[in-house]
Amino acid sequence: MGERRSPSRALLRGIPITVWMLVLVVVPLGYTFLTSFFQVEGLQIAAKLTLKNYALFLTDPMYSGILLKSLVLALAIAMLGILAGYPLAYMLCFRVRRGKQALFMLSIIPLWVSYLVRIIAWRTILGNKGVINSALTALGLIQEPLSFLLYNRFAIAVTLTYICIPFVFIPVYTALEKIPRNILEASSDLGAGELRTFLNVVLPLSLPGLITGFIFAFIIALGDYIIPQQLGGTQGIMFGNLIWSQFGFAFNWPFGAALSFILLAISVTILSLTSRFGTTEGGFISE
Amino acid sequence: MSEECAIELRGVKKAWGDVVAVRNFDVQIRKGEFFSLLGPSGCGKTTTLRMIAGLEEPTDGSILLEGRDVSRVPAYRRNVHTVFQDYALFPHMTVRRNIWFPLKMRGISLADSQQRIARVLRLVNMEDYERRLPQQLSGGQRQRIALARSLVDEPAALLLDEPLGALDFKLRGAMQKVLKDIQRNVGITFIYVTHDQTEALTMSDRIAVMKGGRVHQIGTPDEIYSRPATAFVASFIGEMNFLHGRLLSAEGQGLRAKVGGHALRAARSTLGDSASPGEEVLVCVRTERVQVNSHRETEHEVEGTVRRIVYRGTDYEVTCSMEGQEVRAVVSSVDWNSSLTVDSKARLGFNSADITVFPRAEEQEIVQYTTEAV
Repeated sequence: MGERRSPSRALLRGIPITVWMLVLVVVPLGYTFLTSFFQVEGLQIAAKLTLKNYALFLTDPMYSGILLKSLVLALAIAMLGILAGYPLAYMLCFRVRRGKQALFMLSIIPLWVSYLVRIIAWRTILGNKGVINSALTALGLIQEPLSFLLYNRFAIAVTLTYICIPFVFIPVYTALEKIPRNILEASSDLGAGELRTFLNVVLPLSLPGLITGFIFAFIIALGDYIIPQQLGGTQGIMFGNLIWSQFGFAFNWPFGAALSFILLAISVTILSLTSRFGTTEGGFISE
Repeated sequence: MSEECAIELRGVKKAWGDVVAVRNFDVQIRKGEFFSLLGPSGCGKTTTLRMIAGLEEPTDGSILLEGRDVSRVPAYRRNVHTVFQDYALFPHMTVRRNIWFPLKMRGISLADSQQRIARVLRLVNMEDYERRLPQQLSGGQRQRIALARSLVDEPAALLLDEPLGALDFKLRGAMQKVLKDIQRNVGITFIYVTHDQTEALTMSDRIAVMKGGRVHQIGTPDEIYSRPATAFVASFIGEMNFLHGRLLSAEGQGLRAKVGGHALRAARSTLGDSASPGEEVLVCVRTERVQVNSHRETEHEVEGTVRRIVYRGTDYEVTCSMEGQEVRAVVSSVDWNSSLTVDSKARLGFNSADITVFPRAEEQEIVQYTTEAV
C-alpha cells in the first residue's frame, strides 16, 4: 500500500455512512421539516407552504407554557437522575470489592424489563391502594390515602427519574472506571482526603461521563409522553403528549411536525451548551 | 534512637491472608540518606514503600516518621510523598496546577506557593513548561514534574517507586544523575525502590536487598557488593561464580574448601560454627576476580578449557569448564590476549581474598540464568 490513500478509496469508504445518515436521519428529518410548513385541508395534508403552524405556537400561550413546564421538569429529572446515579456509580466503582460484576448487572437490569411494565409497577407503588399508601395505612400513620403521590407531576418526576438512572449510571461508571487508581493514590499521598480528592480529581475526570448521562436523561425526560399519559393525570400534560396528540388524535401532522421541530431546536441548543463543559481540561483549582 | 532518624521500621509485616509480602522488616533510615530497596519483582519492596507512604496498612509492627508512630495514619496526613512509577500526574491539570496541588492541600498562601513552584521548577530544570498538560510532555519531562510536585512542600522523605523504570537506557542514566544531584541539593531523605542493581549501587548510601518478603542484607553498596551476607545477595548483585565444593577445614587462618581436585583457601565464609569438614558448600568468586592466562601472580591456579567467549565492548566474558564446573571470567578489552579461543586450554587464577564460602543449602536462592534455564 502506498503512503497516501487514493481519493477514490476514501470516497468509497465514506459511502456506507453517508447512505446510512441520508436514509435514517436526513431524509426523515427533512421530510418532517417540510411537513411543518404544510397545511391540513379537511382530512388531507395539502402541500401548500405556510407559516401558520409556527404562528399558532407563538400566539397561543398554552403551547409555550407547556413547553416551558416540560423543559423545567426534564431538567429537574436529569438532575435527580444524576443525584441518584452518580453516587451509585461512585460507590460501586470505588467502595465495592467483591461482587462488583453482579452489582453492576443489578444496576442496569431495569433496562431489560419492558418500559410499560415498569410504568405499571410505579402505578402500583404510588396508587391509592398502592404499596406506599397501604403500608402507611396499615401502620396507622394516615387515615386517608395520600393523593399527591399519583396522577400529577410528582409521579412523572419519580418514574422518569427511575427510568433515567441506568442511563446516568452507565456513562458515569465507565468514566470513573477509566480513572487510573494511582492518580487517586497520588492525590491522597499529596495531602488530599477523600472529599478533596473527589472535588479536585474524581469529579473533573468523570465530567465527560456526567455530561453524557445528563444528556441521556434530559432527552429521555423531554421526549417522553407515555409516562405523563399513564401517571400524569390532568395537570401532567407534557410537550411530548402535545406532539403525540397532533399525530394521533387531531390528524394535524403539519402542526405536530412544527412542534417537533421547535422541541428539537431547543434541545439541540441546550445540549450544545452543556457539552461544552464536557472536556477533560479544567480542574477545580482556580488560578 | 538518635534524632537524626527520619524513618524507622520496627518488625513491619504485611500479609494478605496466607500470602506474606513482607516479614519482619527492621531498619532505621537517617535524615538525608539515599536508601534503596533492591530485589527481584515480588520481593516486597514496593509493598514496603507503600506502607511507609500510608497506601497500605502493615499487618504487624510499626512505622515511625521522625519519631512519631504513623502506622495507622492515613496517607494524606503523612509528611512523605511518593513518586509513582508511571508518574501519576493529574491529566486534567497543567504542570503548574499539578505542582500547586500539594501546596493548596496544605493551605499555603498564593504568594508563597508561586515562589515555591518557581523554585522547584528551576530545580528540575523545567521552568518553561508551566502551562503544559502532562500529555504534552515526554517521559523524562513527566518524571521531572512528578519529582517537582513531590518536592515542592518539602516533605520529610520522598518515596520513589522504580521512577526510572519506564525510561530508555540512556535517559535512565542521565536521570540517575539528576536525581542524585537533586537529592544532594535538597537534602531530603530518599527511599528508592528498584530492581536494577546498578542503579542501587551507583545512587544509594545504603541498600536493603530483599527477596520473598525477607530482608537479606542492609548495608552500603560496598558492603553489599564485596561482603554479601547470603548467596542470594551475592548472585543478585554483580556477577558471581558459584562452585560446588566440600569443606576441608574451618580452623586457623580462613577456611579451606575443595573444588574438584583443588584445595582453595577462602578469606570469608558465612558458615556457622557448626560447620564441619566434609560438608557441602558453595565456593564463590566474582567473575572479574578470575584471572585468565594472566601474568599477575595468584595464590591458586587451575587448568580449564575455554567453552565460550562473548565480546561485550569494554570486556570479554570467557566461560571455561574446570573440573566439570563452569567458571566465568571477565577480561578487560585492554588486557585481552587474542590467543584465547574456544576449546583452547586456559590457566585460571584466584586469590583467596576474593573467595567467599556459603552454605550449600542457599543454592536454591541463587538468581542465575543458566543456559539450561533460558
